[in-house]
Amino acid sequence: MHKLYLTLFLRGRSSRGLQKKGVPKSVGAKLGLVLLFYGLFGLTSLAFIHQPVFAVALYSHAMTLVFLGLFVAASSGEMLFNKDEADIMWHRPVTTRALLRAKLGVLLKVSLWLAGAFNLGCFIAGVLAPDGGWLFPVAHALSTVMEALFCVGAVVVLYQLCLRWFGRERLDGLMTLSQVGVAVAAMLAGQVPQLMIRFHGKFNFDAHSWWVALLPPAWFAGLDDLIAGNRTNFSAILAGTGVAATATVLWLAFGALVRGFETGLQSVGEVMAPKRPHAERRRWLDRLAGWGLMRWWLREPVCRASFLLVAAYLARDRDVKLRVYPGIAPMLVWPVIMMLQSRAPGQPEFFSGFTIALTGVLIGTVPLIALDLLRYSQHWQAADLFHAAPMKGPGALCRGARRAVTFFLTLPVLVVSVLLLWLAGGAGPRLALLLPGIIALPLYGMLASLGGRAVPLSLPGEEAKSAGRGFKMFGVMMISMVLAAAATVCWSLGWFWWLMLGELICVSALFFGFRAAVAQTRWESLE
Amino acid sequence: MITLHQLTKVFGAQTAVDALSLEIPAGQIVGFLGPNGAGKSTTLKMLTGILAPTSGTATIAGFDLLKDTLEVKRRIGFVPESGAVFESLTGLEYLEMVAALYAIPKEAARERIRQFISFFDLSFETLTDKLLGAYSKGMRRKVVITSALLHNPEVVFFDEPLDGLDANAAVGFKALIQTLAHEGKTIVYSSHILDVVERVCDRVIIIDKGRLRLDGRPDELVAAHGRGTLEKLFTQVTGGAELEQRAQDFAKTFRP
Repeated sequence: MHKLYLTLFLRGRSSRGLQKKGVPKSVGAKLGLVLLFYGLFGLTSLAFIHQPVFAVALYSHAMTLVFLGLFVAASSGEMLFNKDEADIMWHRPVTTRALLRAKLGVLLKVSLWLAGAFNLGCFIAGVLAPDGGWLFPVAHALSTVMEALFCVGAVVVLYQLCLRWFGRERLDGLMTLSQVGVAVAAMLAGQVPQLMIRFHGKFNFDAHSWWVALLPPAWFAGLDDLIAGNRTNFSAILAGTGVAATATVLWLAFGALVRGFETGLQSVGEVMAPKRPHAERRRWLDRLAGWGLMRWWLREPVCRASFLLVAAYLARDRDVKLRVYPGIAPMLVWPVIMMLQSRAPGQPEFFSGFTIALTGVLIGTVPLIALDLLRYSQHWQAADLFHAAPMKGPGALCRGARRAVTFFLTLPVLVVSVLLLWLAGGAGPRLALLLPGIIALPLYGMLASLGGRAVPLSLPGEEAKSAGRGFKMFGVMMISMVLAAAATVCWSLGWFWWLMLGELICVSALFFGFRAAVAQTRWESLE
Repeated sequence: MITLHQLTKVFGAQTAVDALSLEIPAGQIVGFLGPNGAGKSTTLKMLTGILAPTSGTATIAGFDLLKDTLEVKRRIGFVPESGAVFESLTGLEYLEMVAALYAIPKEAARERIRQFISFFDLSFETLTDKLLGAYSKGMRRKVVITSALLHNPEVVFFDEPLDGLDANAAVGFKALIQTLAHEGKTIVYSSHILDVVERVCDRVIIIDKGRLRLDGRPDELVAAHGRGTLEKLFTQVTGGAELEQRAQDFAKTFRP
């Protein structure tokens, strides 16, 4: 069964997009690219090459937890509670525990591949650490396996506890919330090393504060330090905490709370008829689209249909919610973390300005991320309808999806981010530094639509697990950082408004060019 | 109404549809038959503009499928075998979305939808209150059929339309397509339920391995080949003649 789920996970449950002759090859290439991406990113550990073992391991485990957390958050919902599976598996003589073990085994195995690729750089940094040595790779491999077990187990326990406390009627909402929570927690874990970096004249890593003991990455770094580092009492306490926490989480996931998983499976298989008040509430969408200004904005029928389709899925569909909301949640966490960091003693003035500019640019990426994620759905076959309908190309559908994302996701994220920045003490004239991102907003949305790629719900969910997306997002983040840095420099030099004028002209030219290109895009044959 | 000339579709090394040529006049109900993997669904997907042919041409309602694809799409309706719908929409939302894709004004669409739900014995509350994911298979099929006929197409392609429909709905549906044909609409009906095809269709086309094997009136074809039923003729033509004997032999392996 483990082999079955691993194959399904890697290959996907649908065959479109995979050439019949090259199925194993295409999966291998995809996986290879993902691992390469993680491996390259993991080379950042080499920046800690002269730091002690604990510091190297702490950075590595914090970042590993970010990647594993985001991966498990994105994959676990579909993996654990797949609706299509009901007719295939649930009438077979298979126990819930065996099913759970097989699924978690796959999540764990893939997590370990990712963690292994990411930690290659760390192995080198640990061996070359002043208190490190050849024992470090063994210790770090062991602690990374434990971290992966902890991460996968923790997500399952989270689901099981939610099911136990709140009941299966709310599974949809709970799963979304849980995954958003895991994504945010993973982002926060990634900030641990940054919080410990201080610029006291030189790059310094302060890793022995008491509160470090509360953080999971520190527990596993303690294990590294105990086996291959300084072997202090503090390391022993941390390592012991890590071992105990992992054991507890696994015991809960596979033992005490396994019944919760069974309940969850049953509720996925059930289709509950909504009550009337629910149905009444559902009509808000129709009313919203008929409201004066919205009516004008959505005057084109296909655009309006696409807007309503996306809005309905953003509000109702478990699969889409689980993909989209955890995907954009980090964009809300980021400004708060950055603003708090910028207020820490010893941080240069430039940093807080950069934080605001980066927040703006990251908000700009929301349409890009959301439109990309909205292409995937378990109901992708229904999108054949678009190909059979009398439309020259996917332009109007992309436009509707873009407007839905702007209205339901980008604008709320923008408002909340500004509020958070204000609460975190970043208010004042420097809020204008958000403008570079806001001006780029329409362009990012249009970028996602190029080639008619933003047709909503038209690709199988499994294809969302693509290395190309990771590379693309990495590239976008890098460009965002450069743009934010440029804006901050221009602000301090007094050239900011000239930069804005230049950006406005460039964005407008590109926007209209891209819009014409999207409008001229024609349908491609579905092979 | 429909003309296919050397229509071909190749997937990698496999030829799914091999130089298919035929003509279907207006007002005819054509049973489009073939064993699994014969190329029926691929042909229908090409004729509905979902798949691009590798070579060959087709005209539907006087428009070239490749050059005037949009005009063709305006004039056709399609019920796919998968019956896939956007399950997180209500039935009404789904049908209104389909209507928008065909530029049918909202009020006109809603009036038309009411006529369909009355025909299919669905309640308007079901259509507005329940998500399609909560519909039974038969109800979902009725919604898919409605969505294919909503814009009053000249040509309709049905791929296993009765799948999931109860006996009463199936009877109603068969009467509906016969009446539609009398009104001048062309119906292409792909199915594995051969006795229904034999009763409903004016003409039967059998393809196998992407090639045309038989084309004619069901009664004439059955008589010409000396077979009592269309089912027997089909198994003879598509190499399934010994299936009965093979099934009996295989069943014997279950004996304790």
